[in-house]
Amino acid sequence: MNSMRLPALAAGVAFVITALYALDPGPYQMAAFVFFAQPLFAIAAAGYAYRVWKDLRSRKVL
Amino acid sequence: MEVADVFRLLTGALSLLGAVLCVWVARVNFGRIPEDRKVSLGVATVSGVAFFKLLALAALFAVPATTLAVANYHTIEGVHGVDACNRCHVMTPMVTDMRDPESQSLAARHFKNGWIPKDQCFQCHSDYGLAGDLHAKMEGYRHLARYTSATYTEPIKFRGVFRNDNCLKCHEGTPKFTAVPSHSTVRGRLADSSLSCLNCHGRAHPTRDQRTPGHPDYPRLVGEKP
Repeated sequence: MNSMRLPALAAGVAFVITALYALDPGPYQMAAFVFFAQPLFAIAAAGYAYRVWKDLRSRKVL
Repeated sequence: MEVADVFRLLTGALSLLGAVLCVWVARVNFGRIPEDRKVSLGVATVSGVAFFKLLALAALFAVPATTLAVANYHTIEGVHGVDACNRCHVMTPMVTDMRDPESQSLAARHFKNGWIPKDQCFQCHSDYGLAGDLHAKMEGYRHLARYTSATYTEPIKFRGVFRNDNCLKCHEGTPKFTAVPSHSTVRGRLADSSLSCLNCHGRAHPTRDQRTPGHPDYPRLVGEKP
């Protein structure tokens, strides 16, 4: 579990898209949130889960 | 301030918090956190490693999950208003006509007489909008994808059948409705939508021709100045 840079980057971009959508909820912002931000959040969560799983395996917890 | 606005503000605040947390987490090298480092959280003191793992949990799971829940609620609630429909320019002719006091379309008569106090589009299209079943939600996403990718042609066409339930949910059983004998005569056909209310009560919105670029009424309907 050395670095969370990639999941953090994915979640960060998703948060920025979501903030823009909250600021001005037009159709393009909504599409960016629905079709890009949500998958990015899923990628970030999956990346986080993968690193936690690797960390627990390395410590022989799992 | 309406509930949808509260959720919109909450979405913005959570997004900013999440972005800051993500920047913080991205800068941390978990392998280089000194083992003797302690972080005080006020009610407890934890090791530096534990603190940053909790921070990662918050930034990459807890805050995103909360933000998604709030933002999706905002997405579903926020599309109820007329202005939400009007943000897509293909809907502008319908909204302009509805708000035109001179128009005799069914939507305009409902609007100017205050028969539907708010969320006028949603009230008549609620079996069709995002608040409907899964199919309606998928249709909403399809509309969004088609609109934002510009893979559509004007005038847009309504797919499927407009259900009379959208009219009957307000009108059925009222004294004015029951006083019209033909409503009883065609009750079955009205119930299964094989006969449209519009057959007798006129068009709901501008015609497809009027909504086609090049038609003399088109500039007025899309709000262009002559």
